[in-house]
Amino acid sequence: MKNVSFVLNGKRVSCEVQDRELLLHTLRERFSIKSVKEGCGIGECGTCTVLIDNEPHYSCLTLASKVNGHDVKTVEYLGDADHLHPLQKAFIESGAVQCGYCTPGMLLSAYSLLMKNGNPGENEIKEAISGNLCRCTGYIQIVEAIRDAAGLCKCKS
Amino acid sequence: MLPDFVSVNPETKEEALAFLDSIGDARVIAGGTDLLVNMKRGESCRNVVDIMNVEGLNRLSVNDGEIVIGSTVTHAAISTITILNDMARSLSAACGLIGSPQIRNMGTVGGNLVNASPAADSISPLLIHDAILSIESKDETREETLENFIIAPYETSLKPCELLTSVCIKALPGYREGYRRTAKRAAWAISRLSVAWAILEDEGRFVDVKLAIGSCTPMPFRPRSVEEFLRGRTKVDPTIGEAVVMVTEEIRKITGDRPSFAYKLPVVSDLVQKALRG
Repeated sequence: MKNVSFVLNGKRVSCEVQDRELLLHTLRERFSIKSVKEGCGIGECGTCTVLIDNEPHYSCLTLASKVNGHDVKTVEYLGDADHLHPLQKAFIESGAVQCGYCTPGMLLSAYSLLMKNGNPGENEIKEAISGNLCRCTGYIQIVEAIRDAAGLCKCKS
Repeated sequence: MLPDFVSVNPETKEEALAFLDSIGDARVIAGGTDLLVNMKRGESCRNVVDIMNVEGLNRLSVNDGEIVIGSTVTHAAISTITILNDMARSLSAACGLIGSPQIRNMGTVGGNLVNASPAADSISPLLIHDAILSIESKDETREETLENFIIAPYETSLKPCELLTSVCIKALPGYREGYRRTAKRAAWAISRLSVAWAILEDEGRFVDVKLAIGSCTPMPFRPRSVEEFLRGRTKVDPTIGEAVVMVTEEIRKITGDRPSFAYKLPVVSDLVQKALRG
């Protein structure tokens, strides 16, 4: 077991983790953050995406011990049902959410992009979400949502 | 679920090397994008040495045209650092095509080399830059060319007590340089065929040509006879055509005839031809 301390969605946290424990399971089971989901489990689908130091990572291939001393963000950082982030609102308004399974990961990849680039072009958006698969929308609505949100929101670290 | 293991997170190179020297059945983890997938598929080991916190291994330094890339520098860093874009364009282009943004934020150049996949995007560009690897153990530091380091697909000369610490390449000023590949999709795909090139030309002649072909043979390789053939020749279509045929002959020499040649040889011919024409 190892003690890890990190910042989770803006709050300092610490917990004991197993050596072989994946960040995905730490977040789901120790912190009850169920928005981070296991899809393929081998770093291909992106539904387990979290931001580590504001950059997207696959939590299904990240040992929990690796985040000691780092900053971790999940979609809960953006907003909740009563206080939606403009990016979340744009996803709803553009029809970028269908089954919703990919949405938290998709939002985080988009958020990371908007933190670095306040006015991304279509290709930059497509590149940024290329590690997140969506099998419902065909991506067009997601790209539109991110483009619409870009002008409206400030993505803070 | 991963198999059970004990992990350590050393913060200095000395500490990491001491662990590798003293604990048996250990694997080194950096980004984990290959190792953990293999472990989920059944590979196991008793110990894991995580080198991502080791001071200095993620450093990139440039000195007098010589670039030293620490083994834990990520693909994302290599593809975005401006100086690499200028001095080793084929490498930064190739690393920008690896996996997805998430994989590039996690995966490292050292991991790509130690995993030694025939389709690893970073290998061909490093071959044309005559990469020399620094490999350290508790008692020894040795250097090895990348060409000698990879001895078979997914197999390198690295001993269990050793750690790949950095990769050294030389800039190729004046060369036009690049990397192209074909894959099943435009993004998030494994390279099916790739070519890295660095070509120095003067008044319509090839002064020096460096080529490396990836995903085609058990290990990415430099078609040296073709490079030799082109040296000093006029850049005209018949010469380029002859060089392309020579490349396919070199591939045949390495692998023998393969059923995949119906696809691979025309594609590699096209990639090489475009690289030479510029």
